[in-house]
Amino acid sequence: MTGKFVSVLRGLIFIVIALALCGVIFQFAGYSALGMFHSVAEGAFFRPGAWQQSLRWALPLFITAAGVGISFRAGYFNIGAQGQFYLGAICAAFMAEWLNGAPAFVVIPACFAAGMTGGALWALWPGLLRLQSGTDEVITTLMGNFLAGLLLVYVTAGPLKDPSGSGQQASSRPLAAAYRISDSLGLSPTIIVIAALVALAMWLLVNRTAFGVLASLAGRNPTMVQWQGATVWRLGLSSFLISGALAGLAGTIEFMGPNGRLAGGFLPTHGFTAILIALVANLSVVGTAFVSVFFGGLASAALYLPIMAGLPSAAIEIINAAIALFITAKSGFVDRLLAFGRRSA
Amino acid sequence: MNDIIVAILRSGTPLIYVTMAGVVAQRAGIWNLGLEGLMIIGACAAIVGIVLTGSFALAMLIAIILCVLASVLLWFVIEKLKANPIIAGLGLTGLGLGGTSLAVQAIFGSQAAVTAPFGVPKLGPAFGPFGVLSIFVLAMPFAVFAMWVLLRRTRFGLRLAASGEHPFAARSVGANPSRMRLAALIIGGVLCAIGGAELAAGSLQIYAQNMTAGRGFMAFAAVIFGAAHPIGSAFAALFFSVVGALGIRAQLLFGDAVPHDLLLALPYIATVFGVWLSGKLRGGRKAATGFAELRDY
Repeated sequence: MTGKFVSVLRGLIFIVIALALCGVIFQFAGYSALGMFHSVAEGAFFRPGAWQQSLRWALPLFITAAGVGISFRAGYFNIGAQGQFYLGAICAAFMAEWLNGAPAFVVIPACFAAGMTGGALWALWPGLLRLQSGTDEVITTLMGNFLAGLLLVYVTAGPLKDPSGSGQQASSRPLAAAYRISDSLGLSPTIIVIAALVALAMWLLVNRTAFGVLASLAGRNPTMVQWQGATVWRLGLSSFLISGALAGLAGTIEFMGPNGRLAGGFLPTHGFTAILIALVANLSVVGTAFVSVFFGGLASAALYLPIMAGLPSAAIEIINAAIALFITAKSGFVDRLLAFGRRSA
Repeated sequence: MNDIIVAILRSGTPLIYVTMAGVVAQRAGIWNLGLEGLMIIGACAAIVGIVLTGSFALAMLIAIILCVLASVLLWFVIEKLKANPIIAGLGLTGLGLGGTSLAVQAIFGSQAAVTAPFGVPKLGPAFGPFGVLSIFVLAMPFAVFAMWVLLRRTRFGLRLAASGEHPFAARSVGANPSRMRLAALIIGGVLCAIGGAELAAGSLQIYAQNMTAGRGFMAFAAVIFGAAHPIGSAFAALFFSVVGALGIRAQLLFGDAVPHDLLLALPYIATVFGVWLSGKLRGGRKAATGFAELRDY
């Protein structure tokens, strides 16, 4: 049994504990826990067309989570994925507005470049503060999420406001159909290819480059890396920039694909779910891909529950939250349980 | 002028109670990002409790019990299962937001806002223009002062601070840091119940889904901005409320000439600036968490 296998098993045990806690909460609130889990599984994977919907949510989540994994790996607790995701969507929307009327082969790449740059810049200032003055990145990135949320509300109700829109929620002008990279169902070859490229690039970066090895070392023992002559600055800033750019990329995809416009406070839990995915996957790139599909399924079940099963979608929020509560846990009891197998082998 | 002060006290009081909960946890060495979840549990339990039991005292009791139970769960996960406090705190927040939505749906059959026939008892006409405020507003300065005395002038508070700053030193004088943290989180649970109840039942007497709208995180920002000092953090929370109240007033007076969202952003910008400055002045970094501890190799 390798250490990796033990940590996967331990993760699974704590997810089971988290789901048991959810079951208790559901039962306590007067729902049948088994019925609830059955409907969630059905909504996520076992109804007709479920896989397409689950993948639709999984791909952008995977892209953000892969970025979160890079900065966690390097030892930076960047919890600002949500803000970087919003900045990506906002910058892409401004670029689309600015180039409106130009041919699609110009506009689409320009929007992607703008989105990734926006996300990266929103990660850059916490990175600079952290490296230059040691300002805690947990606080700066958390505050960055709120600032980005306010900025999104401001641009959707101000510069980008759709004058024909009505209702309570202000939204931006819709993106012209020629520039959309998918329909509103949100699964298209373009998005799949982008996600596959991100997966390949991140896997190579982590497993086959000096950066990947040094980043993992820096996360565990910064002093040692310093002694080995690596520049903490370059390593640190790169990991902030990569994670920001990927979150920005996911924001761009959500804007140019399934959503087609910006709305104040859209997809408010994207960043948090991506952090969870990275942690559940123990920061491995391949693991992140698989775990994304699971959480993508939960996201699609959140839409299915109230409409098809008549159950509140808050159930999904509770499942995600319970997993968050336990996913970083280590328990002597569980470890002894796992070690028991090792001894008998 | 009076109505501005009333507005600031109304929005500031819930924030200050929850900030005190954050302060006591921070002192004990736990970055409590579950404040948002605890606050919504307090708000929901207070209103639903009043509707179901018809008694304010019983409703407060329910709110306090639920918030304390949630805090103990957080303590168990952080201390006994060695979970990362930040991720676990965010999890507790999600559990609070989701759990309250689920509970309201289960009890009332819909997720619509719940209105209570009465709320927190008011100060009454003896207080003139401030009579519309609740008793929790009057109690708030005393709570802040009591927190200062508790943390800075009692043996308990000093041991609590030692548990946060130097657990080994705390252990050497016979204090159990883990148990001190439990005490801190339980005190925080009670304060969050009061803060949440004041938010929902202090003036409006309405509970709506996700009505805390990030106030728990704002309280956390106030804790950081105020360097976890009870009085400093209370003033930070008050400052955030003043900015919020001024933002609404500026919009009423000048329309869109003053961007409302920019004013709302001020507290967060101030927090980033404050954290950066305090890091500069203190020199060196006090890490929130050794992230390396999270991973096993």
